[in-house]
Amino acid sequence: MSVYLEKLRHFRLAIKQHGGIIGAYLNFYRTDELKWGDLIGEDKFGNKYFQNRHYFIGRSRWVQYSDAVGMDYDGSQIPPEWHRWLHYIGDEPPTTAPPVKRSWMVDHKPNLTGTPEQYVPYSTVKPKITAWEPPKA
Amino acid sequence: MLKAGLSLLRSSQVACFRQFPLSRTATSRGLHDFQQVAPKDCVSVVPYREASNETTTTTRKPYSPFRVEDPRNNMVDYVFARIDDLVNWGHKSSMWPLTFGLACCAIEMMHFAAPRYDMDRFGVVFRGSPRQADVMIVAGTLTNKMTPAFRKVYDQMPDPRWVISMGSCANGGGYYYHSYSVVRGCNRVVPVDIYVPGCPPTAEALLYSVLQLLRKVKQDKSNQIWYRKL
Amino acid sequence: MATLLKIWPLMGRRILGNPAACLACKSARTASGSSDQPEVELFVNDIPVSVPPGTTVLQACAEVGVQIPRFCYHDRLSIAGNCRMCLVEVEKSAKPVASCAMPVMKGMRVKTDSEIARKAREGVMEFLLMNHPLDCPICDQGGECDLQDQSMVFGSDRSRFVDMDHEGKRAVEDKDIGPLVKTIMTRCIQCTRCVRFANEIAGVEEIGTTGRGSDMQIGTYVEKLFGSELSGNIIDICPVGALTSKPYAFTARPWENRKTESIDVMDALGSNIIVATREGSVIRILPRLHEDINEEWLSDRSRFAYDGLKRQRLVSPMVKDASGTLVSCEWEDAFFTILDRLTGVTGSEIAAIAGGHADAESLIVLKDLLNRLGSEALCTEEIFPMDAAGTDLRSNYLLNTQISGIEEAEVVLLVGTNPRYEAPLLNARIRKSWLHNDLTVGVIGPQLDLTYEYDHLGDSTKVLQELAAGTHPFNKVLSSTKRAMIIVGSAVLQRADGGAIHAAMSTLAQNHRVKSGCDESWRVLNVLQRVASQVAALDLGYKAGVQVVRDNPPKVLYLLGADEQTVTKADLPSDCFVVYQGCHGDAGASMADVVLPGAAYTEKVGTYVNTEGRAQQTQVAVTPPGMAREDWKIIRALSEIVGQTLPYDNLNEVRRRLAQMSPNLTRYGDVEEANYFKQAEELAKSVKSSLASDALTPPQLSLKDFYMVDSISRASQTMAHCVAAVTKAEAK
Repeated sequence: MSVYLEKLRHFRLAIKQHGGIIGAYLNFYRTDELKWGDLIGEDKFGNKYFQNRHYFIGRSRWVQYSDAVGMDYDGSQIPPEWHRWLHYIGDEPPTTAPPVKRSWMVDHKPNLTGTPEQYVPYSTVKPKITAWEPPKA
Repeated sequence: MLKAGLSLLRSSQVACFRQFPLSRTATSRGLHDFQQVAPKDCVSVVPYREASNETTTTTRKPYSPFRVEDPRNNMVDYVFARIDDLVNWGHKSSMWPLTFGLACCAIEMMHFAAPRYDMDRFGVVFRGSPRQADVMIVAGTLTNKMTPAFRKVYDQMPDPRWVISMGSCANGGGYYYHSYSVVRGCNRVVPVDIYVPGCPPTAEALLYSVLQLLRKVKQDKSNQIWYRKL
Repeated sequence: MATLLKIWPLMGRRILGNPAACLACKSARTASGSSDQPEVELFVNDIPVSVPPGTTVLQACAEVGVQIPRFCYHDRLSIAGNCRMCLVEVEKSAKPVASCAMPVMKGMRVKTDSEIARKAREGVMEFLLMNHPLDCPICDQGGECDLQDQSMVFGSDRSRFVDMDHEGKRAVEDKDIGPLVKTIMTRCIQCTRCVRFANEIAGVEEIGTTGRGSDMQIGTYVEKLFGSELSGNIIDICPVGALTSKPYAFTARPWENRKTESIDVMDALGSNIIVATREGSVIRILPRLHEDINEEWLSDRSRFAYDGLKRQRLVSPMVKDASGTLVSCEWEDAFFTILDRLTGVTGSEIAAIAGGHADAESLIVLKDLLNRLGSEALCTEEIFPMDAAGTDLRSNYLLNTQISGIEEAEVVLLVGTNPRYEAPLLNARIRKSWLHNDLTVGVIGPQLDLTYEYDHLGDSTKVLQELAAGTHPFNKVLSSTKRAMIIVGSAVLQRADGGAIHAAMSTLAQNHRVKSGCDESWRVLNVLQRVASQVAALDLGYKAGVQVVRDNPPKVLYLLGADEQTVTKADLPSDCFVVYQGCHGDAGASMADVVLPGAAYTEKVGTYVNTEGRAQQTQVAVTPPGMAREDWKIIRALSEIVGQTLPYDNLNEVRRRLAQMSPNLTRYGDVEEANYFKQAEELAKSVKSSLASDALTPPQLSLKDFYMVDSISRASQTMAHCVAAVTKAEAK
C-alpha cells in the first residue's frame, strides 16, 4: 500500500513542479514524461537540467529543453559540458566544476541539418574532365 | 522576342536542354523544402545566456505538432500545408524499418531495438517484409553481390519510403572502399535520406538518426508542392 | 658472353613466303581450298574431320570445336612452336606433339584429353609458372591473362618448385620501349608473339630475343623506343602481363569495365573498336575484329588518344561578352544570341564548314537547316578537286577496291600518300600482301620507310603525265597484271592542281582497265581519305573545300567541328559572326563568337562512312560532359529557335532523312559500291588546270607527324608524350 502512496506522492510533486494540472499536461505532451527533481543548472541555450536520485540510474538526470525550441528539441542542443554530466560520465555538473576554457575550444553549435545554415558537402576530387579555358580577349 | 522564345522553349522539346528538370521526383524530396520552411530561429539563433539564475526572456514556441509558419493569404495553400502536416504526423508516428543488416552494424541496430534504447517508444518496429516497411536501415557493407537483391528489396517498399545508411561502409564504402567486391556507398544504388557516421555507429547514434529522419518527415510538403504545381 | 640470337631475322619476305606456315588459317584455307587437292581425314578424340592438307592439328581440332590451349600460337602470326602448351597425344607417336606446328596427316588419331596430353600440359604449365612471378594481384593483365586462365584449367594444383635455398625466381630487368607500352619483363614467358608481330605485321624489326635458356630475354637489343604506329597491338597479343598499356596502368580490372562496340574516327578507315568505360569516363580503347577493315589490330592514335576526350572539352555553351571574351552561359542564351544575329541576314550570307569528326546525322541536319535559311554554302574542310566530275560521282572519292581488296591486288601504286601514317592498318594490309602474295608496290612521292620494299618512281608530277601517257617504265609493270590498284592520297588532291592529278590518275586507271582486260568488278582507281567525315559529307552533297566561303565572305559562319584553320579570322570580314559547335576547344572555338558544346565520337550515336564507302555507326559509351549534347540535337533545337523547325524529333527520323538523301548511309556495315569510272574518265578530260611542278609530298612524313592530327589527339597528353619520345629518339 505504501508503494502506491509513494507513487501518488511523486505524481503530486511532479504536478506541483510543473505548475499545476495544465502545466504538467503540456510538459507531458511535449516530453512524454512527467518527473520531478532538483534543478541543477541551466545552460546558455536555456535548457534546464534536473536530477532526482529517487529514479534509477539512467533516468535520474534529465533535461528540460528550452522553451525557444518548442517541439523541435534535439539531443545536439545540449552543450558538451552538460552532456558529460547528463550521460553519467562524471557526477560533477558544470555549475560546480566549470570546464576549463581553452583557447582552441569553439562554441557549441547544435546540428543544423535541415536549416539554411546546414553543412553541404562538396567534392574535393579533381574533375574527370577538364574544360577548355577560352583565351582572354 | 526573348520572352516569347523562352515560353516556346518551355513548351517545346527544347526543354530537354534545361539542366534541371522542372519536375521533382520523390527521391529529391528533402533539403529544398525545409530550407524554405524552417524558421530561422528554430535552433540556430537562440538567446545566449551564461548564468543559470538569470531571468528568462525567451519567447515560447508553441507546442504544436504542425510546422510553424506565417499565415498565408492563400487559404487553399494553407489547407494543403495542414494536410501535409497531418500526413506527416501519421508517417512519423509509426516509422517501421526494414532491417537490412549486412555486417557488424546490424549488431548495433539490434541494440537499438533492445530495452535500453527501446526503439518501440518512437513507434519504430522492425518488419520482416519490405512491403510493410517505411524505412530501410542499411546496416553494414554492401557488396556487389548483394546489390541486386538490395535494390530489389528497395523497389518492393511502398511509397513513401526512406533509407537510413548506417555506418561507414554503407555511407561510402568505408574500410572496404578499395575492395573489388564492395559498392562504394549504398547511395550509388538507392537515394539515401540519413547518413549515420561511425564504424559501427553506436545504437544511440542510430537512435539519433531515426529522430533526424522523423524531423525530416515532419518537414515534407509534397501535397503543397503538388498543389502549387497545378 | 651472351650469345646474340635473333630467332626471327625475317629480313625479307623470302623466308616468310611459305604460306602453309605463315598465313592465317583463313587465307591458308582459301588458298588450298581452291585447289583440287583431296582433303585429309583425321580423328580428333575419335570425331572424324576432313581438312585441306597443310592445315595444322590445332586448326583441325578447332574445326570440331576442341580448343587447344596455346600461348605462342596466334592466327595472324607465323608459327613458332616454342611454348609447348599445345601438346596433344597422337596415336603411334612416341612423344606428345606440338599441335600448332604439326601438319595433319591422313588417318591421324589425335587425343586432346588423354592422360598423356593432360600430363604434358600440366608439366609445361609447371615449367612456365616456375619462373613466373606471383604478382597477379598487382598485374594489369589480371582477368584477361591467358596464363592465369589456362593455369586454372590445365595447370596442376601444386608445384615442385620449392626453392629450398631461396635462390629466387628468374628476374629480368624492365625495358623502356616508349610511352605507350609498359614492360614487366619478369612476367614474360618467351612466347615471342610480340617479336613476330613487330617483324611481320608492323614491319619494324626492333624487337627480338637475346640469350638462351633461362637467360633468354625479349627486348629491343639496345634500350630504344619501339617506334611503330601499331605498337599498341603487342599489348593485346601478349598472353601474360609482360607488355601492358602504360596509360591504362592500374586504372581498372577488365571485368569492371563497361564495353561499348563502336567505330573509330581518328582516321578514315573506320576501324572497329571497343570503348571500355568505367564510372562515366573512357578508360581504354581496344580493337574489335573486322576482317575487312582492321582485322584485329588498331593504330596507336586510335588506341591511345582517348585521354584527349577528357581534356580541353567544351562543357557549356559560351557567348562573347562585351570585352570579347567567351563566357559560359545557358543554352537559351546561346541560341538567342545566334537568333539575334541571324535576323536580317539573308540566306546567301550564311555559310557552314564541317570538320573531320562530324557525323552524318549532324551533317544532314545542318544542311537542312541552312538550306531552309536559303544558303547553299556548305563545305568540308578537306579539299577535293571539284572540276570535271568532282564529287558528283562517288567512285571519284572512294577507296573503291576496298581495304581487303589489297590482298587480291598484284600491283599497288601509291600516289602522294604515306599510308603508314595516314592509314596505318591499310599499310599493314599492303605489307601483309607484299609478304605473302608477292605484291609489287610503286610509290610516287618522297622516299619513305613504308615497312615494305617498293619501286620509287620519283616525286615529280612529270611521272604522272608519263604514266597517263603510258610511256613510263612502270606502265609495263602495270600492264603485266589484271589486279592493279592506284591509291591516290587525299593530301595531294588539296593542291591547286589536284584536279589535274586526279584526272591523270583517272586516265591511267581507265587505260589500265581497258588494256589489261580485268573484269568489270575490279576497280583500279582509289582515293585514300584522311578524315572520318569526308565521305559522308560528300555523299550528302557538301562542297569539298572552303573556297566557297573565301569567295563569298559570309556574315554568319557555322563551324561544325572545323578545327584545321582552313578559314581564319583574316579570311572573314570583321563583322562576321562565327558559331562553333564541337567537342574540343581548339582553333575553331578560339575564333568563335558563340560556342555550342557537342559530343565526341564516344558520346553519341553517329553514322560515319569510311574511305571505302562503308557506313558504320558509333555508339554511346559515356554521356557528353556537362551541358554538351549530341550534335544533331543541338542543330535541331537551334532550328526551332530560328523559326525553321526541322521535321524530325528523334534519331530514327533523322536516319530516315539520311536514307532519303543517300540510302547507303543507313545500310550499316555494307560497302556501297560505285562504278562510273568510264564516265568519270571522260569528264576528267575537261579538266582545265595543268599539273604544277611541285613535288608530290604528303604532310605526314615521320612518326612524329602521326600522333597529333585532330582536335582530340591534339588534346591528348599521351600523344604529346609520344611526340616527345620520338623527338628524343630522333635526336639520338
